[in-house]
Amino acid sequence: MTAIIELDHLSKHYSPAIIGVDDISLSVGDGEFLTLLGPSGCGKSTLLRMIGGFEEPTAGTIRLAGQDVTALPPYRRAINMVFQDYALFPHMTVGRNVAYGLKLLGCSELEIRTRVYDALKLVGLYDKLKLYPHQLSGGQRQRIALARAIVRRPKVLLLDEPLSALDAKLREQMQTELKRLQEKVGITFIMVTHDQTEALVMSDQIVVMEKGRIAQKGTPQQLYDHPASIYVANFIGTTTFLPGAVEAADQTTARIALGGGEIAANIDRPFARGERVTIGLRPEKIRILAEGETAANVLAGRVSEVIYYGLGLRLGVTLADGSRIFADLLLPDTLARSQVPPVGLAVRLAVAPHNVFVFAGEEAA
Amino acid sequence: MTIARTAGISTAILATLLSSVAHAEGTLNLLTWEGYADPSYVTQFEQETGCKVNATYVGSNDDFAPKLMAGGGVFDLITPSLDTTKLMIDLDLVEPVDTAKITAWGDLYPTLTSLDAIQKDGQIYGVPYTWGGIVLMYRTDAFTTPPESIADLWNPDLKGKVSIWDDKSSIYLAARKNGDMNIYSLSDEQIAAAQQALVEQKPLVRKYWATAGELVDLYKSGEIVISNTWAGNQASILKRAGIDMTEFVPKEGAEGWVDIWMVVKDTPNLDCAYKYLNMQLSPLGQCAIANINTASVANPVAAKSCMSPEQFVELHQDDPGYLERLMVWQSLGDRYEAYANAWNAVKAQ
Amino acid sequence: MSALRRHLPAVLVLGIPLAWIVLFMLLPYGILATYSFWLKKYPTFVPAFQFGNYLTLFTDPQYVLVLLRTIKISLLVCLASLLLAYPFAWFLVYRCRSAQIRTWLYMAVIAPLWISYLLRAYIWKTILGTEGVLNSFLIWAGIIETPSSIFLYNQFSMVVTLTYIFIPFMVMPIYTALEKIPANLNEASADLGLGPWRSFWRVTVPLSMPGVAAGFTLTFCLSFGDFVAPFLVGGPDGNLIANVITTQFGSALNWPLGSALSVVMLVVVLGVVSLGDRVERRSAAGGF
Repeated sequence: MTAIIELDHLSKHYSPAIIGVDDISLSVGDGEFLTLLGPSGCGKSTLLRMIGGFEEPTAGTIRLAGQDVTALPPYRRAINMVFQDYALFPHMTVGRNVAYGLKLLGCSELEIRTRVYDALKLVGLYDKLKLYPHQLSGGQRQRIALARAIVRRPKVLLLDEPLSALDAKLREQMQTELKRLQEKVGITFIMVTHDQTEALVMSDQIVVMEKGRIAQKGTPQQLYDHPASIYVANFIGTTTFLPGAVEAADQTTARIALGGGEIAANIDRPFARGERVTIGLRPEKIRILAEGETAANVLAGRVSEVIYYGLGLRLGVTLADGSRIFADLLLPDTLARSQVPPVGLAVRLAVAPHNVFVFAGEEAA
Repeated sequence: MTIARTAGISTAILATLLSSVAHAEGTLNLLTWEGYADPSYVTQFEQETGCKVNATYVGSNDDFAPKLMAGGGVFDLITPSLDTTKLMIDLDLVEPVDTAKITAWGDLYPTLTSLDAIQKDGQIYGVPYTWGGIVLMYRTDAFTTPPESIADLWNPDLKGKVSIWDDKSSIYLAARKNGDMNIYSLSDEQIAAAQQALVEQKPLVRKYWATAGELVDLYKSGEIVISNTWAGNQASILKRAGIDMTEFVPKEGAEGWVDIWMVVKDTPNLDCAYKYLNMQLSPLGQCAIANINTASVANPVAAKSCMSPEQFVELHQDDPGYLERLMVWQSLGDRYEAYANAWNAVKAQ
Repeated sequence: MSALRRHLPAVLVLGIPLAWIVLFMLLPYGILATYSFWLKKYPTFVPAFQFGNYLTLFTDPQYVLVLLRTIKISLLVCLASLLLAYPFAWFLVYRCRSAQIRTWLYMAVIAPLWISYLLRAYIWKTILGTEGVLNSFLIWAGIIETPSSIFLYNQFSMVVTLTYIFIPFMVMPIYTALEKIPANLNEASADLGLGPWRSFWRVTVPLSMPGVAAGFTLTFCLSFGDFVAPFLVGGPDGNLIANVITTQFGSALNWPLGSALSVVMLVVVLGVVSLGDRVERRSAAGGF
């Protein structure tokens, strides 16, 4: 895949003390849906705004389709943006909003009409052509903003928290809709969000950011299954962290002693014997063993908390040393309510070695 | 007719606010020009007679009618100028004066006591107080050949250096320039001709002066070199400011103004009112006003007793003929509107 | 009795302003309108119902002339105020980064409102006069050799003075309107390919129209009713409609004609106000 956006040692330092983006190099493939994910203040919006041309980098270069655009103002870049609160022009109809950026492209009147029609049809709002933004719902406005941006057929479309202003139900619906749309138009999307679900559902590539730097880049699956740091594991999905020490290790596996037992884990880099580590466990990857059943990694404890969340149960299990891990238990239709484990029940938990994350050092928090 | 007009609009507004003074027994309420109730003689008057004096000041002759028409019986004495007295009488706002109660009546200039504008149906309605000519004046240093005619106000060489009074009396001025000497009984054609002359003069005019203070300022700031003026008044102020002025009576003659005391109809303070009028015509009142406003006074006998010989001559009190030669304002009656309208039309252009 | 006591607060809250409006606004307007049909008859005027006064206003050229001149001067004042106020307000909102400097500059424009109107008008006399500050400066700078009299006592000086006096009423609403425009709209416009200049005309200008309309209305109405500037800095050709009304109520003692003039003036002002209001509401509703 050819790169459409290349960031080369890009930085934005507001002052020596206030750093927005710190020395980021990143390449975005043509036609990719890339998400910048991170908590507020991590620099993801600043990075997006620099790509759009709304902020000037203090160092580094931005290339768009091989051409250096670092010094170009927004209106000279073949990039468009969907703003967080849509930024629709309140004094113009939907039609004129969408047509706004077309006249300057030298389109004929007929072509403008056709392209506006196509863009509005794409988002399913052609009948709203003559309405004003304030006459539309939030979701409709969102889609008009989208139509306005893609109608110019940009090389890259930037989306700044595009779904954050919508309610949960609509947000979920728009996630798939956006993804479908992106596949249909084939434009590279770069989206900023702080919502991990959004990122996982929609993206081809996710860049997790931390304090102005890239914490990890990868596909949703890579990030979920192989988080590179406690920070990433913590940010994507739910993870229980336990401190431990390496007892024995070879090239691919390690045995780690925990306060409440011992566990085997697959590793992709060498660990020294006796090294302090933190292991991470995903609740949904932990299985509760039935009576008499055996497995590679078994941890014993007592149920101390039961959380019901519709799809299943999340059990808080306290180990022998008092540390607590979570385990998910799906509730098939057949499972009767009476079989929900009561608090205080002794249980044995199993987890496959390839589902145990091992991070060097102790958990920061 | 006083320098009080300097205060102009703000005074007028203030006067409106202050005009709600109560009508009280033994308290004289005057609607008058500043200086016409000066503490220099009012304090003495109050002590001697026990009558209190309360003065409300006007900014223009136009203030008298609206205030009396709106305010009812608040005021006891007023001092309109001669061009407004007839209106006061016709509006039935003032009552006849018992000249027998005016001690100095016989001493006043007969020219003034016989004025048509203070009479109606054989009765006298006003007591002449102070007077002066409306003459021309110029900056002495601005002319090599002294101007001597009204026509000099139309001299194209003086473009932008001329000012005339913002008043319907401009019609009188222009009419005389046109050779129409019957300035108080002009025909429609004569008024139209005067109006035309004033329109032609407009490019030469820097500004129409509305108040004495404004005229003084125009000379002081070097804007103008020639204008008409209230004889003695503004020239003396300018002289004190170091600007050498020459006043002259143009060969077409000069108008004369007279300020008149009138008694407001049905005043309950008639006694105090007559005491005040008598004081004003006495040497105390006459010389005070002559000094304050640099204006001539109506009682030459009193003037002689209190003025220096120089001042007596300077104010033309020694020469009854001077007053006779002035074209003293007359009532325009229902022709008033024609004059006023013509002047407004000039200003509208 | 108890019912009255129960409703007393409501009666007072609504009744006092209502009584105020009736007593001090509607009633005087009514009296004015009534007078305008009366007849001038020496020495004063008599009740009548006739349209002679209005006829005079529209047939005697002097009134039409003054009315048109007043409209012209007011429009020029609006235009001059707009041309000065808009860039200033724009600078404050978009370019002035320091909030403190912005506050100070804003106050600098508003502060003259606390100074007496007469004083402010009078100051211009000393600036524009033949021996005034401007002439002294021009001579000092070698631009002219002898003092010029073209700056004072004409319509130019009236426009300058009125602009100075009323410009805060233009700056305030425009500033507020500009401040209300979301910053990302200009970004969106740039994003869609429009340069700053085009974005300004297609986004900033239309969205600030409510402020412009409000400022225009205020400035026009204030200038239209002014009678002090002609008195202080106007020349022989500086009579405005308010001066004519003053004359009619004063020396001319022709209240009917003065009232008719006032009614005409009121109609013009109401027309401008409703026009401004319509522009404001239309642009606010997005229907530009």
